[in-house]
Amino acid sequence: MTTLPQIWVVFAKELRDGLRDRRSIRSVLLTAALSPVLFGGMFTVMAERAKDAWEVRLPVAGVEYAPTFVDWLKQQTGVEIVPAPADPEQAVRDRKEDVVLIIEKDFSENMARAIPAPVKLVSDSTRESARKKVERARRLVTTYSSQLAALRLIARGVAPPVAAPVEVQEVEVSSAQERLASQLNILTLLLVIAALTGGMQVAIDTTAGERERGSLEPLLLSPVPRWVLATGKWLAASAFGCSSVVFSMALTVNVLRRVPWEDVGIRFRVSDADLMSLLALVLPLVLFLSAVVIFSSTFARSFKEAQGYLGILILLPMLPGVVSILYPLSNRPWLAPVPLLGQYALAADVLGGQPPKAIFYILAGVSALACAVLLLVLVARLLTRETIIFGR
Amino acid sequence: MIEIRGLRKRFGTVEAVRDVSFSASDGTVVGLLGPNGAGKTTTLRMLSGLMRPDAGTIRVDNADVAADPIGVQARMGHLPESRGLYPRLTPIEHIEYFGRLHGLNGPALTARANALVTRLGLNESADRPVSGFSQGERTKVALARALVHQPRNVILDEPTNGLDVMSTRAMRDLIRGLRRDGCCVLFSSHIMQEVSALCDRIVVIAQGKVAADGTPDAIRNLTGRDNLEDAFVALVGLEAEEIL
Repeated sequence: MTTLPQIWVVFAKELRDGLRDRRSIRSVLLTAALSPVLFGGMFTVMAERAKDAWEVRLPVAGVEYAPTFVDWLKQQTGVEIVPAPADPEQAVRDRKEDVVLIIEKDFSENMARAIPAPVKLVSDSTRESARKKVERARRLVTTYSSQLAALRLIARGVAPPVAAPVEVQEVEVSSAQERLASQLNILTLLLVIAALTGGMQVAIDTTAGERERGSLEPLLLSPVPRWVLATGKWLAASAFGCSSVVFSMALTVNVLRRVPWEDVGIRFRVSDADLMSLLALVLPLVLFLSAVVIFSSTFARSFKEAQGYLGILILLPMLPGVVSILYPLSNRPWLAPVPLLGQYALAADVLGGQPPKAIFYILAGVSALACAVLLLVLVARLLTRETIIFGR
Repeated sequence: MIEIRGLRKRFGTVEAVRDVSFSASDGTVVGLLGPNGAGKTTTLRMLSGLMRPDAGTIRVDNADVAADPIGVQARMGHLPESRGLYPRLTPIEHIEYFGRLHGLNGPALTARANALVTRLGLNESADRPVSGFSQGERTKVALARALVHQPRNVILDEPTNGLDVMSTRAMRDLIRGLRRDGCCVLFSSHIMQEVSALCDRIVVIAQGKVAADGTPDAIRNLTGRDNLEDAFVALVGLEAEEIL
């Protein structure tokens, strides 16, 4: 008998066994559901913040000292002027207010004498969540100030540009899509986590579980080469991993399409082609990751022992994810042959709107597959060890 | 047909098997008798090809286990010491899985699986997952999956361990049936009645060595005891004295 049907026999059995295992179904569903929830939550919060910054509720103290200024503020879109708390500094310190504008007593007098009129902006720079609101408040004050300055210059017969010898023109090199991509990279991380955990249950059950139950010895008594057994089990674990990735992707995209992007000022522009590209990256990675899990849990005598090893392993996909947040992996397609890192790098380019050439996908996929095959060869060797066959 | 010559196996400083040689021909039942820790399971594991002997040769139907383990495994049905099952699969699914691994399929496999289920009295539970099965039912499933490919050589490691009276009887009937079919049956046991009731030949193993090899009558004559159990104690005790 040729080995191909035998691989199929092992694969079909492990698939059926896995589908009857509530734990493996649960791990597929849970990881798939986890990412859209996290992702949707994260972006909704981002969108809310952006909205907050635009629709600013600004407590102002000393309204009576600068009625014209306050009237102007009230006319600005999205600005709501409210009375300031009695002790503004304490209120900001206690996080009751994000920012408070204090107009000083001599505002009108200074204004009339054309010397700088004092206002105080009370904020806490350690509070990341209030940053945009504070910026908006500061911008409001400087806008008012420069408008007034221009009027004063005109009144004195001076053209306003004279007072602005240098003008800064911002040149933003990253596209809006790229800036979004740095956030969207989390999508890659979540997909990789789904890839690892989706098939993990089956991978452990068919290796360490087989040893724990005492069914490994009977299995190895059948006239089947060890690599055939390893391959069938690996394919079954990969099938679970792949379905977890596809499932997770479908759910996440569904959620992403519902996020109020216009509030963040970006149009969600991840096309179906981009999503297919991501799948083309992550699905071959599943083959590698399930081989890693199969390999490491073959050493384990029991389910629990295997889970102990995998506790460390689960940090692995997070690592490039964390790296890519601190040190962007985009525009580094030569990383393609390095499993995990390569996928993150290429995915960053896809999400950044600069899809890499097809050859890099092939390189990443072939490399992941080659590493998986190497691990399976090692698994097949492990399965000839007496300490593994009989050690329980 | 099984031939074992000069088998040795050492684990660290423990010599589990020192020198084991015996043969079992087709159409006979050979009992491997010995106290716990005598080296029976280790011998059977080497016979299955999963454990490599330090020295010695094993031939099954004239094929060398070391040279062609997979070819030998195809001719052998082995009920090993560990009888783990897949809790979520039914007996029929177990039998069919192992049948397919042996290259069987289609109606022939279905017929074979049903025949085994009937022969072992598993009909009522044939389509239930094995997770709630009794020890006896588990042994039957393990036995069925070992016999699915109708092997000519059958190796049973303590087959009646944990079985009740009825199941033990059924097991004995099955072993006799295998002999009638012309199979070579080798089974290990530490229970005297079982061996005397079934075996054409007995190989007594103690301290990793063959202490006696012959028909039940020959063994009784060898030790000068009428009772096989006394003969066994005499043989094993003799070995123990030699060691001391």
